[in-house]
Amino acid sequence: MKLSRLRVAELRQFREPFELANILPGLNIFTGANEAGKSTLVRAIRAAYFERHRSTSVDDLRPYGDSAATPLIELDFEIDGTPYRLTKSFLQKKRCELTVGTRRLEGVEAEDFMAERLGFQFALKGASREEHWGIPGLLWIEQGSAQVVRDAVVNASDHLRKALDESLGEVAASGGDDVVAQVRKLREELLTGTGKPKANYQKALDDASNLAEQVAALESAVANYRDQVDQLRRLRDAHETDTREQPWASLRAQQANAQEALRAVEELTGQLDRERETLRQVSGLRDLLLQRLASAELQKQNLASREATLISVTDQYELAAELERQCLLAETSSTGRLAHARTALLLARQEANRVALRRQLSDAQMRAADLRSLLERASAEHERAALLKREAALLRIEPHDLTTLKAQQARLTELQIRQTAVATRLRFELDAGAVIELAGETVAGNDERLLIAPSTLSIAGVGLVHIAPGGSDLTELAQEQRALLDEHHALLQRLGLASTAEAEAREQSHAQRLADAAAAEKARKLLAPKGLDALRGDLDAADARRSEAAAALEQLPEPREDVVLPLDAAERDHDGCREAAEAAGQSLQAARHALATVTSQRDSARQERDALKAAEADPALQAELATKRAELLEAGVKELALRADIKGIEARIAASRPDILRQDVDRLRRSAEESERQHQARDRQIVQIKAALDAVGAQGLEEDLAKRQSERTLAVRRADELRRRADALDHLLGRLELRRQALTRRLQAPLQKHLDRYLQLLFPSGRLEVDEQLVPGALTRPGPRGAEAGSFETLSYGAREQMGVISRLAYADLLQEAGRPTLIILDDALVHSDAQRLAQMKRVLFDAAQRHQVLLFTCHAANWRDMGVPLRALDEARNAIAAT
Amino acid sequence: MKHHRSAGGREHPDDAPMIRVLHSADWQIGRLYGSFDPDDAVPLAEARFAAVERLAALAVSEKVDAVLVAGDVFDAQTVSARTIRRLFNALAGYAGPWIMIPGNHDAALAESVWSHAARLEALPANLHLVLEPRVVEFPQQGLALLCAPLTQRHTFGDLTEWFDACETPAGWYRIGMAHGAVQGVLAEDIDSANPIARDRARRAKLDYLALGDWHGTKCIDERTWYSGTPEPDRFKANDSGQALLVEIDQPGALPRVTPIPVGQYRWGQVARRLDIASDLDEVIDTLGKVEAKDVLELTVAGQVDLDGYRRLLAAQGIAHARARSLRVDLSDLRFTPTAEDIASLHADGYLGEVIAELRDTVGDDARRAQDALTILTGLLSERNARGVTP
Repeated sequence: MKLSRLRVAELRQFREPFELANILPGLNIFTGANEAGKSTLVRAIRAAYFERHRSTSVDDLRPYGDSAATPLIELDFEIDGTPYRLTKSFLQKKRCELTVGTRRLEGVEAEDFMAERLGFQFALKGASREEHWGIPGLLWIEQGSAQVVRDAVVNASDHLRKALDESLGEVAASGGDDVVAQVRKLREELLTGTGKPKANYQKALDDASNLAEQVAALESAVANYRDQVDQLRRLRDAHETDTREQPWASLRAQQANAQEALRAVEELTGQLDRERETLRQVSGLRDLLLQRLASAELQKQNLASREATLISVTDQYELAAELERQCLLAETSSTGRLAHARTALLLARQEANRVALRRQLSDAQMRAADLRSLLERASAEHERAALLKREAALLRIEPHDLTTLKAQQARLTELQIRQTAVATRLRFELDAGAVIELAGETVAGNDERLLIAPSTLSIAGVGLVHIAPGGSDLTELAQEQRALLDEHHALLQRLGLASTAEAEAREQSHAQRLADAAAAEKARKLLAPKGLDALRGDLDAADARRSEAAAALEQLPEPREDVVLPLDAAERDHDGCREAAEAAGQSLQAARHALATVTSQRDSARQERDALKAAEADPALQAELATKRAELLEAGVKELALRADIKGIEARIAASRPDILRQDVDRLRRSAEESERQHQARDRQIVQIKAALDAVGAQGLEEDLAKRQSERTLAVRRADELRRRADALDHLLGRLELRRQALTRRLQAPLQKHLDRYLQLLFPSGRLEVDEQLVPGALTRPGPRGAEAGSFETLSYGAREQMGVISRLAYADLLQEAGRPTLIILDDALVHSDAQRLAQMKRVLFDAAQRHQVLLFTCHAANWRDMGVPLRALDEARNAIAAT
Repeated sequence: MKHHRSAGGREHPDDAPMIRVLHSADWQIGRLYGSFDPDDAVPLAEARFAAVERLAALAVSEKVDAVLVAGDVFDAQTVSARTIRRLFNALAGYAGPWIMIPGNHDAALAESVWSHAARLEALPANLHLVLEPRVVEFPQQGLALLCAPLTQRHTFGDLTEWFDACETPAGWYRIGMAHGAVQGVLAEDIDSANPIARDRARRAKLDYLALGDWHGTKCIDERTWYSGTPEPDRFKANDSGQALLVEIDQPGALPRVTPIPVGQYRWGQVARRLDIASDLDEVIDTLGKVEAKDVLELTVAGQVDLDGYRRLLAAQGIAHARARSLRVDLSDLRFTPTAEDIASLHADGYLGEVIAELRDTVGDDARRAQDALTILTGLLSERNARGVTP
């Protein structure tokens, strides 16, 4: 299809006629600012084809405020080489004219012809909407809707299929989708999505089942009613029979007979009881007699037995007595032997004692002597030590006194030396006999004096010479010497000593005494380590033991001359004799006990025997026994007679079966009562059933049942019809969808081929899937990490737009191959594509324009300068027309 | 067995005069027609009362001495009081004696529709209702009616046996009334309970034996008749919808029995098979002849194309509006649209394929496919009629 000229008038902003002529067979780009009329022209093309010229829903075509306008559109185009001219005017003058070559069509016929040719349909009512646009709706992309492919494809699918099927040599269904939708709708009226009954169908099923229940209930009520009617008949028959025959009367008569028979039997039973009592008494008496005689017999047997017992016990007694005697003899002899052994043992012990005592005595004597000598030596040492200590105590000088003495002595010596050193040496060399006195001391011969103090030298004759030693030291020394001497002498005096040397000698003597005392003490300790007193105690003890032993010896009897057994032998002999004596004693004891027992048995046996003997011999007893025997015979005869009687009576009673008779009476009485009761109950039941039946009968039960059955039949029929219809619709829908899908699948491949051709320009080695509805689905393209797949809906707006355009171009190719007219209109498409993608899309569009006429309206003229065709500015065109 | 008179001609001068009675039976009052649409069922039920009214009118116009109703007056024991009253009201047109015996549907059980009617005090004075076996005497007409009512739903003994030994006044008419199956005459599918000896009329020296139970008029022998029901109630073709006018000139004479139509509706069953084009014409002709009194059941089998199908449906529509009741069973009719049919439906592409597939489906799915096909062609026809086709 090639549009060559477009003319509009009185249409929106085109109040004046406007014409676009010389439209190229390939790509045409119309540019214009907003409001320039691009979209109006697109709308005009759509209106020319899609809107019925008679439509009252095209007010939007009217120029603003012009109610008298006649929007006019004139289109020249060519399909398959045939020229077409479509002239359509709306509103004020509604006209449609179409020339096809030389053929001329008008009005609806012309419109339907174009619809058939291009593949769209008209709205039944109102303005044409998307769902009517069919193939043009797919190829004529409205502003901002390039990306909405799915709806467009779905709306066009029937036309597509039909158009494309021709290329496949097959025929698609006209309006098939409509039919499928209708069938689906009809099916949905009856069935849910999963095929369950719903709405009227469900209700019909419910009605049928409810009515079936009601019918069943009524049927059971009717059956019940019939049963009751039958029962009533049976009851009435029975009641009448009973009223007539009175069965209880005959039962009562039978009861009376049975009662009479029972009374007779009861009399017999009384007689039987009496006879049995008599028998009981006779039997009792006989038993007593038998007992008595039996006891007499028993007594006799007892006596004999007692005699035998006595003899046996007596024998035993004699044996026991003999045994006792022998035991006594044995015991006496063993006791004698024991006494003898005991005497020998005593003697042996006495001698042994004596020997021991003697040894003790000698030991004690020796010990006492030793101890005494020891005590004497120890005492001497002890006394010497005491003496030495006392002497030492007398010689003792206090150590500090001794020290003081020594110190004084040393000072004095020192003082002496110093005096001598400083003293005035006075040397005498006196003529023989001359005497002089110095300081009162006569001095003769040659001598020398050291004068330390002023001294007077008296020379007989001469007078006195006063000598005063030089220096003060000498004086002081002399004074100190005197003082010290005084002290020294005082100390010596107090100590009773003459000199220091003596003090030292005494000290030495004191030490010697102490050492000696210690030695003496040590010697005593060796002799008597526990002390003298202990030693003395030991001595006393030893003395005492000795005295004891001596005394014991004194007391011992004189030793016997005869042989004395050694002690251990005597002891063994004694022990043996004692054990034998004990055994003999025990035997004797046992023998005596046995004897006593047997004796007592023998005595009691004798007594019993004697007593029985005495009783047996009583003549009264013999007489009594004779009487009893006679009585016993008599009782036996009587008893036999009674038993025969009783047997006879019992047989008679048994024959008449009183228990059964009693049951008969009871049974017959109850039967009579029951019969009457039943009669009355039946009467009542008849009344009850009658009343119930009256009530039920009045309800017209069977009529009601028949009504319900009718309703049920109808309901079941309706449900069946609906089921059949639902089944049929379900089946039909399934078949239709199956066929349609099969068809669609056959179209996928060629569409895919065309899609790929364009897609390779945009995404080399990308792939856009086409689903069963022929709608683009997932886009797969190479990414940095391998192939990336995303469904159409998840693509970006720009990508969706690009895919939308590509898809539509692919459809156009497909349609063209099928020999269908194609015209592609793009109203401001691809405005969301980036520069790079746009460049690719341009190549795509250019490629498409080689096969299809493409009308591209844009307000971005600059973007489309590289398409190799002139850009036609609408503004300029308008101006140009205005100018003409 | 001793009788007052022989079965010959008038022997005694005091023999009863000529007698005319109307013999009917099997009114089945209270019967509903469950398998019919309510629109049809109600008039059909009403028609049974109307038939009784016409009988009464007939009794009057024919000046009969009595009307004998041989059982199954009511269809069920428990019918509503209104139904009972309506029935007895319908008798009002004829003031002479009505003699009724119970049949198996309304047997004189311990409690029955009759005891209900009695409680309702709905029984008119001129009704002689015979609920136990006995002779009803009409001295004025010299008529002795030997009645064998059913007192159980089913009996297996012959209730008319006692007729043989029953004595009636000399010179009187002896007419028997019974309800049941004459032995060895009726088809096996009729209830074989309540048997009646085939030669009962002869053996019991009856002038006439009025029978009920068989819904079509049937003559057993010259003295033994089933009157049939006065208003047809089933499709099974029989001679129903009549009453019998029985005229006997004198006791012992052979009766003159005249069937008189009293029924309102004509019941019919037609089955046709469409194999060739003229078969359809015949069916359409049948439908074209349907009248208002018709209760018709039409079964059409075979196969039909689109045009034939449309014609059939159109004829059915017209006949349906005209008939009392019309039931057309097309379940065995295969709708086989031709290639031209498919083209005329504009069923191109896969729609056409589906039609062909459905048309050619055989076996278990055939019926469903036929239904689906009917729906689809219906939709397409509608579409074409609307002019939707692109």
